[in-house]
Amino acid sequence: MLKVNNITKKFGDLKAVDNLSFEVNEGEIFGLLGVNGAGKTTTFRIIMGLLEADEGNVTLNGKKIDYDITDSIGFLTEERSLLLKMTVFDQVLLYGILKGMEKDSIEEELDKWLERFNIKDYKHRKIKELSKGNQQKIQFITAIINNPKLLILDEPFTGLDPINVEMFMGVIREFKKKGSIIIFSSHFMEHVELFCEKLVILVKGQVVLGGRLSEIKKKYRKKNIIVHGDVEVDKLMKIDGVLEVNKVRNDIEIKIKDDNVVEDVFKYISKCKNITKFNVEEPSLNEIFVSKVGESFDK
Amino acid sequence: MRVLTNKLKYLIKISLNKKIKTKWFVIVNILLVLLVIGMVNLDTIISAFGGDFNEKTNVIVKDNTNEVYDLFKTNLGLSQNYLTDLENVNLSKSEETREKLIEDIDSKDVVIIINNDDTNTIKAEIISDQFVDTVLYQTLTSAINSSKITLSMSKSNIDPYELASINAPVDISRNILDETKEEEDEHKSFFMGIIFPSFILPFFMLIIFLVQMIGGEINEEKTTRSMEIIISNVSPKTHFFSKIIASNIFILLQVFILFIAGLIGILIRKYTAASSFSLGSEFDLSSIWNTLVSSGVSERLIYVIPITIILMFLSFLAYSLIAGILASMTTSIEDFQQVQTPIILICLFGYYLSMLAPTFEGSIFIKIVSYLPFISVLISPPLLLLGQIGLIDALIAIAILSGTIYLMLKYGMKIYKVGILNYSTTKIWGKMFKAIKD
Repeated sequence: MLKVNNITKKFGDLKAVDNLSFEVNEGEIFGLLGVNGAGKTTTFRIIMGLLEADEGNVTLNGKKIDYDITDSIGFLTEERSLLLKMTVFDQVLLYGILKGMEKDSIEEELDKWLERFNIKDYKHRKIKELSKGNQQKIQFITAIINNPKLLILDEPFTGLDPINVEMFMGVIREFKKKGSIIIFSSHFMEHVELFCEKLVILVKGQVVLGGRLSEIKKKYRKKNIIVHGDVEVDKLMKIDGVLEVNKVRNDIEIKIKDDNVVEDVFKYISKCKNITKFNVEEPSLNEIFVSKVGESFDK
Repeated sequence: MRVLTNKLKYLIKISLNKKIKTKWFVIVNILLVLLVIGMVNLDTIISAFGGDFNEKTNVIVKDNTNEVYDLFKTNLGLSQNYLTDLENVNLSKSEETREKLIEDIDSKDVVIIINNDDTNTIKAEIISDQFVDTVLYQTLTSAINSSKITLSMSKSNIDPYELASINAPVDISRNILDETKEEEDEHKSFFMGIIFPSFILPFFMLIIFLVQMIGGEINEEKTTRSMEIIISNVSPKTHFFSKIIASNIFILLQVFILFIAGLIGILIRKYTAASSFSLGSEFDLSSIWNTLVSSGVSERLIYVIPITIILMFLSFLAYSLIAGILASMTTSIEDFQQVQTPIILICLFGYYLSMLAPTFEGSIFIKIVSYLPFISVLISPPLLLLGQIGLIDALIAIAILSGTIYLMLKYGMKIYKVGILNYSTTKIWGKMFKAIKD
């Protein structure tokens, strides 16, 4: 289990991370979310031991993370941490050996992953000759080459097309099944929503929302009603508890304060003509994120 | 521990491969070897292409007095010194008229017309189609003047034995009263002529190369953020040592290549020297060695060579440490080029001082700067070879340099640990001092 205990990190007067705590068990995927400068990368660096927390500590299975256990960790940084003049093979070999692996097993694993990502012809090509997407694949391979017990992914889907995003997500799910602890950050909330069980949202280093995704959605009382038919927006807006009415493609999206408003909206809709759709939906993570981050900035 | 050693070894190997397994390393070193061999054999190369220097100068004497030619010939032989090579002069007597000689004159001919003057001595005219080499002109005029004196004295009824004694070269014996001074002190320019191109200049260039190489490599890893992956797997200390060891191995390899190139050049010279034309700058190993032995300097080589090697190793280490520490605090190669300026200036100061130092024998200032780390390697060995500083002074320089390296390792490591993950370009020096305090 990865345990982050009340970590705080200051850079001069700026608190980059403020009293952050969370736990991630084996076989869980944890999302660390936040806008740029929220403290995500600083948190990853503290977990990796690259930065020392001013307060608090981080443990993996009860042990402080140091160079004795970093061989079992995979780390993908937000920026492409590849030496562009090297060939793919030399680069992966370097990072593999730094993980304490033997040359033969590195090559075996590399061949497997290159084939899986459809880039086996690039094994001896220089990294600078590859496209951004393929460079990202190589970086991802360097992070998973040692079959890590803890996999830290900082913006893993940057520069990837939807097909490759799906491919990456498939691999991440496989590591989850194998029991790896996975912690990652992404600006794409739909990715987080698809496979994160737990998450925290950081604003200016502080947690503004955290816990299991299902519970977060449950606690977030605002709901959306999607309607298709001839409705008058003005009349909808007059219903007590209706916050916002938007036209989304051919549908009408009605944002309501909580579940109690559903009945009043339904009463009005039932009087309207040509109604073919009436769905009460939970808000998306993106909506919750924008709402929570916006509130925090307003404060 | 074994895994850690493997990681260090691999980082060194990768760092070395990046420098050696490049086409530029091969190309540059081929050019360097050719250049060194060429420089050692420059005169042979020039003579191989041929040119006017192979043609002898014809000195044609028209002696209208019928008394001077033999004297002139003798005096010309006596005037020969290390600057003139009379093997390249054909001396002959002519009975042709002045007009005929001028009509037949060639570009390499010098015609000397000698006549009696009104006071019963001689006067001479030197005629040539082109400019005459200054040294040859002075030699000819000197021989004419000597001939005039000899002729005048013989006409004054001076005894022939006395005359021979007057004309004989003066026997000069060199005697220095200060027992601490030896004759080789007067060979400073000769020794510096050997030390400067063979040691100081290559060393200075290698230092500049070393500093820029370390800075470039560390900055490449920082700018690509691969530093974060590397440092998350090996300690900054291991990473730092890998860079220092790899760079020093590389530089020593360059020293070895230069040394081998020099040896090849000397061997080629040895086997081609017989047929080559000398330009006057004699470069002969046996004559250098003879000078070293006769001057007593060869005895000092027993300790000068090991001390120079120790100073060289330690200085390479010191320069690579300071370059690594400074590079860790910068975020781009442009920043590093600015930060490295003080190192280059210090090295440049040592470089110029090493040229001047032997001329200020006994200077307290020179003695003090010969102790200073980073520049002691450029100043101490030449002074030690010339006997201007003692063995104790050189050992003090080694001790101070070793102490500096220890301090750089102790405090520099703290800076390096903070610096390699620093991506801010502001308050660099402040952060360095804060890292030392922490």
